[in-house]
Amino acid sequence: MEKLTDEILMAKVANGNLDMLKILFERHHKHVFNFLHKMCGDRMLSEDITQEVFYKLMKYRTSYNNGKFVSWLFTIARNSMNTHFRRAANHTDDIDAMDYKLVAEEEEQKDYSDLHLAIGQLDTSDRELVILNRFQEIKYEELAEIVGSTPGAVKTKVSRALKKLKTIYFQNS
Amino acid sequence: MEKNHVIELLPAYLDDLLNETQKKNVAAHLKGCESCSQELEELKKLFEAFDREKELDTSDKLRTNFFEQIELEKQHTAKVVSIDSTSIQRKNNWTNTFLKIAASIVLLVGTYYFGKQQQEQISGKEIAQLTDESQAFKQTAMLSLMGNKSASKRIQGVNFIEEFSEPDEAIVNALADRMLNDENTNVRRTAVEVLSEYTSSETVKNSFIKALKTEKDPGIQITIIQVLGKIQEKKAAASMQYLLEQDDTQPYVKDELESVLPNII
Repeated sequence: MEKLTDEILMAKVANGNLDMLKILFERHHKHVFNFLHKMCGDRMLSEDITQEVFYKLMKYRTSYNNGKFVSWLFTIARNSMNTHFRRAANHTDDIDAMDYKLVAEEEEQKDYSDLHLAIGQLDTSDRELVILNRFQEIKYEELAEIVGSTPGAVKTKVSRALKKLKTIYFQNS
Repeated sequence: MEKNHVIELLPAYLDDLLNETQKKNVAAHLKGCESCSQELEELKKLFEAFDREKELDTSDKLRTNFFEQIELEKQHTAKVVSIDSTSIQRKNNWTNTFLKIAASIVLLVGTYYFGKQQQEQISGKEIAQLTDESQAFKQTAMLSLMGNKSASKRIQGVNFIEEFSEPDEAIVNALADRMLNDENTNVRRTAVEVLSEYTSSETVKNSFIKALKTEKDPGIQITIIQVLGKIQEKKAAASMQYLLEQDDTQPYVKDELESVLPNII
């Protein structure tokens, strides 16, 4: 059972076998959480959104279209986070400005590596690409699916984002 | 080549995602381009930093909460299923099955009777058609036989009447014609015998009365007298009287007439 692909498991879930969700959760919840944490730097919020992501997976299981599971999972993760910050933005200033302010205030500096801090200085779309590509090892094809672009364009964007990140990273260290 | 920097290909180069040609080109460029080589070194360091980055663990609460949600969803789904689908579906299935069986029986029986009726109609038509055809054929045969030169053929034709349950006007007329006009005594006698079966017809009666005057053969005369006497045809009285008064009428024919006449009048 453990060896079945994500796609087969999710198809089973879509057909009503909800226990298969537990396997998918074990396989992916850390990745989703870490993606969210790298994106916003807020541990609590990341856990909340992670739970929300898996809940949506269950709730909208029948709309799973048998595509690449990871793409679907991170699309939901990304959209959930965007929704959260859009809602938050109605109360504060603007999305890009607020997310890293949160970090600095709530958690202590030692929790973050130089890399994490450097990534935090990228703008949201670059940050998202870098995290998904480098940490989650998501291939360009799937990355293109998640952000709604083409593999070629994503490839170029990722390499440019990495160049920016490199500059920031070596300035700081 | 040197001006054509390969910076954008470097991440893919490090990830080993380039094809052989691209790989060779990048390697060749790196040998001669210091800025790109430096870029590659920095990128390697950056990637090493990514590799060093540890994944954070989540709290157990996350798993517990989600697994609880799964159980809740299961119960919810099970309830929905038991109320909305299963029981109703089972009921529906039951009635559906029953209706399906009933419908197939109705269909089967209906088709059988429809087919039967259709078959009966068709065969009925066929029989009627065949009867008509054979009737027409017999009629033609009979009429042509009666017109034959040979007397025995004409007798055969006259006797053909037995094949008809209800001979039509044409046949009766043809028979009457034989009775009145045939030159052969035997044909005329056979015609009289045959026609005596159809005395309810006015045409036949009138023909008999007419034949009483024209017929010269005493045997046939007696047969006609007997037939007319049997049905007590009053219109025949005049003809009988006439025959009785004729000199050339045979004495035993006159005897017959005298015995029959009082019964008619």
